[in-house]
Amino acid sequence: FYCTQRQRRSGSRCTHSSFRPPPFIFLGNQTSLNLFAFTVSGKKLQSFRSAERPQAMASSTIASPSASFIPTKKELGRSAFSPASSPFSVPKCRKSISKKIVSVMAPQQSERKPAATGSVKTAMTMTEKILARASEKTHLSPGENVWVDVDILMTHDVCGPGSIGIFKKEFGQNAKVWDREKIVIIPDHYIFTNDERANRNVDILRDFCAEQNIKYFYDIQDRGNFKANPDYKGVCHIALAQEGHCRPGEVLLGTDSHTCTAGAFGQFATGIGNTDAGFVMGAGKLLLKVPPTLRFVMDGEMPDYILAKDLILQIIGEISVAGATYKSMEFVGSTVESLNMEERMTLCNMVVEAGGKNGVVPADSTTFKYLEDKTSLPYEPVYSDQQARFLSEYRFDISKLEPIVAKPHSPDNRALARECKDVKIDRVYIGSCTGGKTEDFMAAAKLFVASGYKKVKVPTFLVPATQKVWMDVYSLPVPGSGGKTCSQIFEEVGCDTPASPSCGACLGGPKDTYARMNEPKVCVSTTNRNFPGRMGHKEGEIYLASPYTAAASALTGYVTDPRDFLQ
Amino acid sequence: MAVSYSSSLSTFSAAAAAAAFSETKPSIGPASSQAVRFPSISSARPFIVPFTSNSPVVRNQRASFVAPRAAAESPSSTTTSPTSFHGLCYVVGDNIDTDQIIPAEYLTLVPSNPAEYEKLGSYALIGLPASYEKRFIEPNETKTKYSIVIGGENFGCGSSREHAPVALGAAGVAAVVAQSYARIFFRNSVATGEVYPLESEVRVCEECRTGDVITIELGESRLINHTTGKEYKLQPIGDAGPVIEAGGIFAYARKTGMIPQSA
Repeated sequence: FYCTQRQRRSGSRCTHSSFRPPPFIFLGNQTSLNLFAFTVSGKKLQSFRSAERPQAMASSTIASPSASFIPTKKELGRSAFSPASSPFSVPKCRKSISKKIVSVMAPQQSERKPAATGSVKTAMTMTEKILARASEKTHLSPGENVWVDVDILMTHDVCGPGSIGIFKKEFGQNAKVWDREKIVIIPDHYIFTNDERANRNVDILRDFCAEQNIKYFYDIQDRGNFKANPDYKGVCHIALAQEGHCRPGEVLLGTDSHTCTAGAFGQFATGIGNTDAGFVMGAGKLLLKVPPTLRFVMDGEMPDYILAKDLILQIIGEISVAGATYKSMEFVGSTVESLNMEERMTLCNMVVEAGGKNGVVPADSTTFKYLEDKTSLPYEPVYSDQQARFLSEYRFDISKLEPIVAKPHSPDNRALARECKDVKIDRVYIGSCTGGKTEDFMAAAKLFVASGYKKVKVPTFLVPATQKVWMDVYSLPVPGSGGKTCSQIFEEVGCDTPASPSCGACLGGPKDTYARMNEPKVCVSTTNRNFPGRMGHKEGEIYLASPYTAAASALTGYVTDPRDFLQ
Repeated sequence: MAVSYSSSLSTFSAAAAAAAFSETKPSIGPASSQAVRFPSISSARPFIVPFTSNSPVVRNQRASFVAPRAAAESPSSTTTSPTSFHGLCYVVGDNIDTDQIIPAEYLTLVPSNPAEYEKLGSYALIGLPASYEKRFIEPNETKTKYSIVIGGENFGCGSSREHAPVALGAAGVAAVVAQSYARIFFRNSVATGEVYPLESEVRVCEECRTGDVITIELGESRLINHTTGKEYKLQPIGDAGPVIEAGGIFAYARKTGMIPQSA
């Protein structure tokens, strides 16, 4: 792995003079290959584009002749974004194959060079385009404050009651929410507890949903048996994805910092507080400042002992916990394209740990395939223009990356897992929106299989994020195991029984929360934060890690590089 | 940064009047989405509202800095006017995250509930490790004697929980002075009007000690440490100031006619 630049914590800007992606051909690994197998010929690019556009426009959206290549299909300047007044009809995207490439630009005079036509000024990043469309502006630059239409507002049991309280106080006790179908209410934080206030908070959500006829309320009433609650989902960010509420090009706000997870779908998603949420509940809009974008280009074949968690820990370690403050983080490159949706979600999930406002992964066939059976609402992906300006660009050769941990007590306290092999641990926790998805449990199970079903040496807590994940853990066969399910493998190696799906002990919670750290312990965890007291006890020591690293550590009782078992 | 807003203000009031909100009609909702105008401006501040108030009228209407909430005023440890704060400071380090400001186990308390709001305040900064010898709030107390919190970089990082600035405000903090903020914490501080999130130019957290007597002159963007005798320049609070002073975005929006008086 090699990073070309470092952004200092003091906020100095390291900008490349221009964004110059290297030439390479997109190696699609799915059915999209036929669509996107372009040659690296600028000429072909031009003819392709003019065939698409009925008007003979100057190729102002096409980069200067030096850019006679197509780095990735996303960087074509392919833009499905069109202002309301556009003469082009942009097909709503339901299936990937039929996507047309349409670029919408104000007509330029053909004599002028691209640099003088204003095309540089009008080029936008993905985030800028999403916010521009949502605020009905043709163009936005970082730093502008705009009123943005919200497509989805999410809240849960911790912040929902407060947001509802503000909504009622400010808009009136009898006020109605702006759109009963755009608010998704997901109890997930403090569910399986006897804490009366926590339980009362879910009741508050229920009363509000009944009164407002909220369409999407994933309720739970029988806490003794989560399966008896057909509507209950679990961790909000995973539920949003699984229930089809995440769609490319949209604006999704949530009363939770990890709302940025949804950026994996090529949308603008960020966390807000109760007051902002109360405002959105009534108005359906919010005033947002357009963030500049940091671009992270990850190339190289992903080693089979590396997961998306290692990627994001590497990045946070590189730029620090404030390295992306007020900025958008865009993840591109062949490695990113090779990730499945859950891995992309892991990547975007921890954007907030770098201070980031939002994270984005351009939507592609992987995205569209995932969404096929989940949403019937139309959506329009957007993509960064080829000439879009980024604040900084970081390049990583992933093929050289080694498993990473974040040592106590900060997500940017990066170290190689193998450098921590003398750290004795007390427990392992596999769960949360960051590391409790189906793919995360599959990874852990695969490592246990590869180890020959060694027994874990420390209590190993498993908390599936949602009901669906829990069911997958109990039903999906793990490759290489001869048809065993994750749950069977976990049982065989001595893990705790997978618990009821929720946020669990990731953030401590009420004292009776399953797997909460009530005494000072050393824990390897697939969660997202390790500040003092995060999982309960102030003197607890949390090593953030990938599911592979967590599983390997469980087998040895020390922080362990998963290569010890996977190679 | 003067912005002429008088004409848009009248447009706004007219629009609001046209909506003819009353208790019997639904308030801002899909049918009446036109009634609330959302003009946009650009500004350098992270959180901005459409109107800049350069008029001194807003400030002079307030005889003293009163916590714009149902909560009782903080004890007499703080004397403030709209443009200055005076009191003891509590110094913390870098990356004070929201779990340290208000640990997750207290998030069952709902901030919009007045009794629970007070309780939240009593737990402010209880998550700080034992290395902080002086507690922010004495064991038998519910309010703090430190009305000014001085921090380092990236204050308020971590969760989006609005409980964090709320707990500080409920505890009696008037202002935080940090080198830099995490964005959601900054935004929540302004939206709720609970604390002024002021930014210093140097590492004030290394220049001050817990218990130093501090004055902050908001209008002059100045911090004076009476105990050491030193002064420091602060970044101007800018457009966020009037919002916090009004008591948060809703109060500010009503005061400026952006939304009608609440039902």
